[in-house]
Amino acid sequence: MEGRKEQLKSVFYNLLSIAVAAVFWSLFSAWQQSPFFPSIAQIWKAFIGLITVGDIEGIGLFSHIWASLIRIFAGFAAACVLGIPLGLAMGLWPKLYKRTRAIIEPIRFIPPIAWIPMAIVMLVGFSRYAFLIWLGAFFPIFITTLLSVTRVNPLHVNVVKVFGAKRSYIIRKIVIPSVLPDIATGMRVGLGIAWMCIVAAEMIGGEMVGIGRLILKYAELIRMGEIIVGMLIIGVIGFIMNEIFIIIEARIFRWRSEVSID
Amino acid sequence: MDSHLVDVNISKSFGKMDVLRDIKFDVKLNEFLVIVGPTGCGKTTLANILSGIETSTVGSVTMRGEKINPHKHNISLVFQEPSCIPWYTMLQDVTSGLCIKGVDSKTADARGREVIKLVGLEGYEDFFPRQISGGMKQRVAIARAYATNPDLLIMDEPFGHLDAQTRYLMQIEIMRIWEQEKKTVVFITNNIEEAVYLASRILVLTKLPATIKAEYPITFPRPRELTDPAFLELRAEITTQCEIVE
Ligand SMILES: Nc1ncnc2c1ncn2[C@@H]1O[C@H](COP(=O)(O)OP(=O)(O)O)[C@@H](O)[C@H]1O
Ligand SMILES: [Mg+2]
Repeated sequence: MEGRKEQLKSVFYNLLSIAVAAVFWSLFSAWQQSPFFPSIAQIWKAFIGLITVGDIEGIGLFSHIWASLIRIFAGFAAACVLGIPLGLAMGLWPKLYKRTRAIIEPIRFIPPIAWIPMAIVMLVGFSRYAFLIWLGAFFPIFITTLLSVTRVNPLHVNVVKVFGAKRSYIIRKIVIPSVLPDIATGMRVGLGIAWMCIVAAEMIGGEMVGIGRLILKYAELIRMGEIIVGMLIIGVIGFIMNEIFIIIEARIFRWRSEVSID
Repeated sequence: MDSHLVDVNISKSFGKMDVLRDIKFDVKLNEFLVIVGPTGCGKTTLANILSGIETSTVGSVTMRGEKINPHKHNISLVFQEPSCIPWYTMLQDVTSGLCIKGVDSKTADARGREVIKLVGLEGYEDFFPRQISGGMKQRVAIARAYATNPDLLIMDEPFGHLDAQTRYLMQIEIMRIWEQEKKTVVFITNNIEEAVYLASRILVLTKLPATIKAEYPITFPRPRELTDPAFLELRAEITTQCEIVE
């Protein structure tokens, strides 16, 4: 646990690096004098405008954020609900994986964007969003869960086997606790990829609401201020979610000496 | 004295490699049997087979005439490698065997605290392994093995990772506990001084594939004096047998 002083220091330096980045952007934008590189004041104006009047169709910024959040959570939750049990099952019974890997592994390498036409012809409405986000988040969660099972320390299993532990006990008390931190990492990576898929998902969703949609609307108009606001909002929300994840992990995995921060 | 508890008559190979060849001996009730052998000769393999977590290729280990089985017999094994479960507090780790064997949690906790005291770790009950030293972890492993009051206690080079000072203290401690609680112990080591200090009987194993080369009953009174001439003489003789001097 780092000291209070150290924490304050890192907050200070983080704020400082944001300030430095802002200064560089301002200088760059002042030098360019082009509508493609709006100043911070112009970005701020776009931000306030999106909150008070809404976008060109009058949809407020918070409606956009809320719509995207719901979609992210739906796709991400589906990825967890399918990926974790499937990964566990295939890790515990490796034959399941060995005998199906020729179908699983190739799918993993198809980028979510390549699925767009398929999603358009196969699905409608909300399921399109959920499907594309699910595609992005599922594999990191599934694969890390699967691999984590194979990394369970056999010594820990033997410790309880000597006492006559049954398979169910070994799974509950040894396998699950030892794979949980890896699963959490997989979920964190999955959540990041879910956000990366949001623009692609909202490209085909049909509805005019969503942060990705917002960016696309203003891309057609080449209005960079609003586009940058949309980009920053995705980044900030992702950042906040990741921080929350890390705090929860540190709580749950008190037995671990460190929590990875990637 | 002749009431014997365990009969061993096994061979073990991993694939084409013979590790244990015709290992035949018995373990008597309440004796402190020490098995010495050079590194890599198959001692850990033997410990795992004795405890029932690994199977022999030929032959079997029986306890009171019945094939050894962790689900039936009350056996404990102190592993050579540090074996604390990272997500268990010391108390949870020490009581794990009791919980598996269906002891209610109140009784298990009471016994756990008692054994933690026995190995001198009072006050650390709620610590996780990452918060304690290597020597303390090894004592946790010993406490865990003791907690279930096993009929057979197997210790696989339990002090191998400890510094000389801690090792010496642990030897005295293990002797005190053994004399106090009278258990049947199979103690594995590659340290001959330790063997002569602790054993009521010593078996000497050869290099790979391991066979039993010699057997020494040790009758020196306890506590033993490491510098006693008779002690030193026996130690030298076993060392020659072990071919470690070469
Ligand atoms: N699971 C295993 N598979 C293959 N070989 C093994 C296995 N376990 C041990 N061995 C081999 O058996 C021999 C004896 O190992 P071990 O019992 O650990 O020796 P010791 O404990 O006496 O140092 C070594 O040569 C080791 O490489
Ligand atoms: Mg060994």
